[in-house]
Amino acid sequence: MEDEDKAKETTSGQKVGVYVCHCGGNISDHVDVGKVCENIKNVPGVVSVRNNMFMCSDPGQEMIMEDLKNGTIDRVVVASCAPSLHETTFRNAISRAGGNPYIYEHANIREQVSWVHHGDNATEKASRLVAAAAAKAKGLQPLEAFRVDARKHATVIGGGIAGLRAAKDLADRGIEVVLIEKSPFLGGWTAKWDHVFPTGDNASDLIMELAPQVLNDPTITVYNCARVTSFEGFVGNFKLGFKTQSPEKGEYEDEIKKMIESGKKPGEFIPFVGVSPSSGIPDASEEHTVQTGAIILATGFRPYTPRTGEFGYGKFQEVITLPELIRIIAENRENEPDDTLKVNGRDIKSIAMIHCVGSRQIPGIHEEDEDKPLNQYCSRTCCSAVLHAANMIRETHPKTHIYDFYRDIRTYGRGQEELYEDASKNKVVFFRFEAQDSPVVAKNSGPGDHPLLVTVKDTLTFGEEIQAPADLVVLAVGMEPNNVSDLVEMMKISEGVDKFLLEVHPKLRPVEVAVSGILLAGTCQAPFDIGEACAAASGAAVKTSALLGRGYVELDPFVAEVDLNKCKGTGACVEACLNKGALTLVEMEINGETVKRAQVNPATCSGCGACTAVCPERAINVKGWTLKQYEDMVDMIVADRIAA
Amino acid sequence: MTLVNPEFAEELEKFGIDKTLDCFNCGTCAAICPLIYEHFPRKMIRYAQIGAKDRILENYEDLWRCLHCGLCIETCPREADPGDLILGLRRFVIDNWRRA
Repeated sequence: MEDEDKAKETTSGQKVGVYVCHCGGNISDHVDVGKVCENIKNVPGVVSVRNNMFMCSDPGQEMIMEDLKNGTIDRVVVASCAPSLHETTFRNAISRAGGNPYIYEHANIREQVSWVHHGDNATEKASRLVAAAAAKAKGLQPLEAFRVDARKHATVIGGGIAGLRAAKDLADRGIEVVLIEKSPFLGGWTAKWDHVFPTGDNASDLIMELAPQVLNDPTITVYNCARVTSFEGFVGNFKLGFKTQSPEKGEYEDEIKKMIESGKKPGEFIPFVGVSPSSGIPDASEEHTVQTGAIILATGFRPYTPRTGEFGYGKFQEVITLPELIRIIAENRENEPDDTLKVNGRDIKSIAMIHCVGSRQIPGIHEEDEDKPLNQYCSRTCCSAVLHAANMIRETHPKTHIYDFYRDIRTYGRGQEELYEDASKNKVVFFRFEAQDSPVVAKNSGPGDHPLLVTVKDTLTFGEEIQAPADLVVLAVGMEPNNVSDLVEMMKISEGVDKFLLEVHPKLRPVEVAVSGILLAGTCQAPFDIGEACAAASGAAVKTSALLGRGYVELDPFVAEVDLNKCKGTGACVEACLNKGALTLVEMEINGETVKRAQVNPATCSGCGACTAVCPERAINVKGWTLKQYEDMVDMIVADRIAA
Repeated sequence: MTLVNPEFAEELEKFGIDKTLDCFNCGTCAAICPLIYEHFPRKMIRYAQIGAKDRILENYEDLWRCLHCGLCIETCPREADPGDLILGLRRFVIDNWRRA
């Protein structure tokens, strides 16, 4: 009996309460809140209109809860800031008062009104928006978020340091993991470093701590030489197709050669290559399918490749990149200790290191490719990596001088400013340039037997032109995201203008993307160092555990609903549907006749409304956003009586 | 046009200066210096860093403007002792006087 009463009450929708927020003057400095309240009182169905300095404050929320509890209202409209900020706040307030959170409608009169309009016009627009929201609220029905089973299984794409970290963390939470790696080896770019800043840890030690844990964990299955081929489904129930095959001719040739030469077995570390999983390199290609609850993208980065001629790269053999130098430093360590660094038997008496190559590029200054945006971002890791390498060289080869050409030194993290200080102690000579006056690397026809001459307008010497003869020029290349446009396309996730994958909220939800159940780990998202990549990976693993841990996921109820009294089975909606499988025509018995009618799969429906727009019978609607509600809103927006 | 001479910092050690390259060119010394003379002593320190001997010898007079007040030594964030470097450069100039 009580339930029946409640149902009657919540479906009636005749008692709309409207709450207008001042936002501490943000709204009320431009919108006459009192007048808006007066105007709204005339809207049919509105029984209570109140206002507060801050609706989101406890007293503001209390107003709503009080009116709901004593039965004054059964629908709620708050007119305040953007719904992205406080829609959830007010839905929760309704829940706490015992109401259904979906009897709520939000009117944005800050971003859409007071911040962009002034005076009477602002008040009028605010009135119309609130009136429209009230009209829509009248048609709101209580809804239930629905649950679907979620597989306790996750797939990690990418076997670099972030992928390994995420896989192990997931396995530790009892979640079964499939790890898919494109190359034949685990370890990613971390495996291609030597001693890493700021601690000087051996990169191989880092890999060898993590990779065996992953390879020996029975809950983790590793596939190398694997590429994702198909993707479907939704959070908790994804289906991922991938293919394993031996590398094509020329692909990973150097690495495979190094593996064979090293005589290392699977599971062992091959310097500057990585770790080969026990399965080795597949001979034949094989298709695989995995049913998985969540997907962590750990697809990583690649170092920027300088253009031919950029600081002499590709033109002079003495111009190399920082990853190349790091390898040289490591290989030199195997030789007899020497005061001077040697490269191919050549004494290196001076090295010029140039920062920000392929990072912080500026339109109009740096050359632009047609198919690729400029890398306008800072790659964050290169300053410390350069200085760390410089210190290593100065400490082991004191007769090798180092010139460091920078735009800004950004050694931002713990233990990293010390690298800059140490570089000074190690007598590294610094030069600073402006982007438009970058150093010029040319053949040295002047003094000494140094093959190259670096000329720069040095701002530290008050703009005087300085020349530095160099035996080696090292370019501190930035990070670019690996090309994952196929995954971006398949999974319908977003990438930024810089092509790094985009999180759903940069501060509060930094490892999730807009598609529920897909998460980000490591440098596919932004330039990170190893520690930061692992932090992101552990974050993604925790988020995944939280998502799958309950065994079910809750989905928004804003999905399409078919009115079987009106549906004639035209199939127009099925054709218009953007999410394959969300709408189907099924046979059913109506009045003793077998007919075809549209059926919604609420788990895959994204609530886009494409079906609503095409149905000739008006038989399909998105819950919470029906055609009737839109019409009511439009009526209110154009209604005479709302005019201020 | 100046050619960098990385050996110069070592050469200065003979004149009692071993912190030439500790300076990171912030300019605090020039800001605090009561002489308020151009970029003194920062510019001299910079010439020492890159080994611009000629520039130092050309502008040697500036080195004798220093009052030894010690403010730059007190305020240098890198503790690079700029005032001491000026004294060392004087010794260098005297040593090179006849050759210059």
